[in-house]
Amino acid sequence: MKGLVDAIRRHRVAAVIAFLLVFPLLMPYQALAINILVFGLFAVGFNLLFGYTGLLSFGHAAFLGVGSYLTGIAMVSMGLPWGVALLLGVVSAALAGLLIGYLAIRTRGIYFSMVTLALAQIVYYAFYKAERWTGGENGLRGIQVPAAEIFGFQFDFLDPTTKYYVILAFVAAALWFVSRVLASPFGAVIEAVRENEKRAAACGYDVARTKLLVFVLSAAICGLAGALRALHLSVVPIDSLHYLLSGQAVMMCLLGGMGTFFGPFIGAGLFLTLEDVATTYTTHWMAIVGAVFMVFVLFFPAGVWGSFLKRIERKP
Amino acid sequence: MEITPSLIALQLVTGIALGAVYALLAVGLSLIFGMLTVVNFAHGAFFMVGAFVGLYFLGLTGNFWFSLVLTPLVVGAIGLVTERFLVRPLYGRGIDYPLLLTFGLSWVLIEAMRTLFGIEGLPSSTPAELRGSVDLGIGFFPKYRLFLIAATAVVVAALWLFLEKTRYGLIVRAGSRDGEICQVLGIDIARVWLTVFAIGTAIAGLSGVLAAPTRAVNPEMGIPVLAESFVVTVVGGMGSLPGAVVAGLLVGVVFSMTSLFAPDLAELSIFVLMAVVLLVRPQGFFGKAGLMG
Amino acid sequence: MSSTIPIVEVEGVSKRFGQFVALNKVTARFEPRRLSAIIGPNGAGKSTFFNVLSGAFPPSEGRLKFKGRDITGLPQHGFARIGIAKSFQITNVFKQLSAHENVRVAVQMRKSRYELFKPRAAMAELGERADALLERVGLVALRERPAADLAHGQQRALEVAMALAAEPELLLMDEPTAGMSPEETVVMMDLITALAAERSVILVEHKMKLVMGICERLLVLHHGEFLAEGTPDEIRHNDDVKRVYLGQG
Repeated sequence: MKGLVDAIRRHRVAAVIAFLLVFPLLMPYQALAINILVFGLFAVGFNLLFGYTGLLSFGHAAFLGVGSYLTGIAMVSMGLPWGVALLLGVVSAALAGLLIGYLAIRTRGIYFSMVTLALAQIVYYAFYKAERWTGGENGLRGIQVPAAEIFGFQFDFLDPTTKYYVILAFVAAALWFVSRVLASPFGAVIEAVRENEKRAAACGYDVARTKLLVFVLSAAICGLAGALRALHLSVVPIDSLHYLLSGQAVMMCLLGGMGTFFGPFIGAGLFLTLEDVATTYTTHWMAIVGAVFMVFVLFFPAGVWGSFLKRIERKP
Repeated sequence: MEITPSLIALQLVTGIALGAVYALLAVGLSLIFGMLTVVNFAHGAFFMVGAFVGLYFLGLTGNFWFSLVLTPLVVGAIGLVTERFLVRPLYGRGIDYPLLLTFGLSWVLIEAMRTLFGIEGLPSSTPAELRGSVDLGIGFFPKYRLFLIAATAVVVAALWLFLEKTRYGLIVRAGSRDGEICQVLGIDIARVWLTVFAIGTAIAGLSGVLAAPTRAVNPEMGIPVLAESFVVTVVGGMGSLPGAVVAGLLVGVVFSMTSLFAPDLAELSIFVLMAVVLLVRPQGFFGKAGLMG
Repeated sequence: MSSTIPIVEVEGVSKRFGQFVALNKVTARFEPRRLSAIIGPNGAGKSTFFNVLSGAFPPSEGRLKFKGRDITGLPQHGFARIGIAKSFQITNVFKQLSAHENVRVAVQMRKSRYELFKPRAAMAELGERADALLERVGLVALRERPAADLAHGQQRALEVAMALAAEPELLLMDEPTAGMSPEETVVMMDLITALAAERSVILVEHKMKLVMGICERLLVLHHGEFLAEGTPDEIRHNDDVKRVYLGQG
């Protein structure tokens, strides 16, 4: 078993992509699969900052939302093609990450969570009020990816299967990027900062700058998730920017296994499936998810995948 | 609407009334943080529960004062159970875990109130004894809001007395979860944790029942309140009770004055205030340098 | 009076924590390539002095100079980069990482800090250098062990390896033998003596026997102020020092 897991971890990007390629066949309906893709990426971006660097941000919805809104606005108000709009969404989210990160990193430890939540709420209220661009309370509507012909193939984004695989292409690229970063020298610095900031500084690493760079990368990835979500839903609900969504990223990460490569996706899958099942049977899904989360915090903090890894790594 | 000096003055008093609620919330949050190093992400939810429980008792007994006394007791009891069984197991673990747990708890509390009282919430109104307005010289001002300010002052004063004049208070002020001082004084540290968490949540519940007549009471009402209490805490300085009070009043005034001159920017203004404080003095007005930034 | 530039010197350095004055206008210089120690009774301000020297915090007043260059106010991460490395009083390592990775990441600082795309597995020379340093401090057999699982003395040795990874000209060590058994202490002192032959080393130490035996120069602090400075012999016969230490009762 351990050998198999080690092999999977060595080729982690390929493993995830292989799984995601067949994923739609396992899911009862495509919309859930696409949702898991998008939120999985959201959780992956968040995990870079939380699981790997040790910074608990409660404001990451800001980056998802900025990615969604800027992509949507670029297409609806500026008429830009969706590829360009996507890029704009990602870059805007990264910029937001730079601003919020710069302010938030001035705080330490536990205050960081409070501050990121509150700073993200600035974005929420700002977008709420900017009705002319964002649609305010009603959200942004009318995001449409036109059907196109690429290399002789008819490409209809509205077809769920096509949509899934197009989004998967971007998610795969992002996952590859994250994997490279984690395996890079900078990835080692991130780990060191998470383990012991004082020690990392004594070794000569600029801890604040390192954190800021991770923050921006994390924001960019969440921005991509947001941009893809906008394309998927064709609308951007105002709630995309609310801290409750930030909290969902936190929950997904912990449920799946923070600081692991596969954890966030597993967590997103678990969370969204649980939500899907719970809402079928009851209106009290929020309490159920909240209770499950508390159970994990108390008894399974390593999450599903993290606990599994611990179990197989246990020395005989 | 013409902006006269008396209008500004009235708006200022409105801001203080709003600030009173913020101050109470921040005091509860700071208390829990100072002693337990726990950021209570369920603080807004406890506020909301307080509002509902308060209205429930009001409906049951018809007596506002009754509900005012009972509600913090009930909410504090919930806080007690929370600390004892949910938060305490996490103290050794790492600074984020109690925070995460209280976040999950907030979801459960919100849903619980939805189930008990319905998703629409409850209608709230000013208790009969406190209806009407008072002539302040600068204009007429709702009696209830004056009461709010007075009630907050009383609670803060009582808390101050507790902290300054009692043994328990001494330990809380020492502000450490490790509690060598407890051993010296022969007090069971676990009981102190319990008490502090219960008091902190009770104060949140109290601010809820006090605030109920001034706003819509629904299960979601605590959600923005959490963010707002964080703003107050950052501005005032985490773990500082005078900071919580001063910052609470300041934030309330900033909100209400912005409502007068640029109503669209009111919610935004307090968060911008926080951002400015973060740039200029990250530890907050009363915070200790090195605690933040 | 030496004509060489001191490896590090402080001029009129004071440090206040609120009302409390931990250091009061201390002026001292340390010559290069020496094994020096900072000593003094409890509360003398040794730790605070160490923290200023090593960049943990800036002084409230006064200047800190390294090889003649004013580095007052340099942020912590700048110190290792210019050649000042330290080990902490309470062992401070990367607990969940292996001994090898602890040192490897310390070694990496000189070569790469922000590279995002290169796989670090390709930087084999860093791993080799890390193993060489582990060998130096006698830990290479334990290279795969998580640092948290190492014995106390081994963790301290690991810290030394990490400090050496920065290729420092000045090595600062805060009570390097604290909490060690007599055997471990001997090993550590031998290591320190060997290191002092190649670079400047400044210790903060409690144990007088150790410093008297191996150090070339001592700086004595008392109540946050400069008391005396000289060779162990000079210090041993210094009336002020004797009064301060014996007067402790």
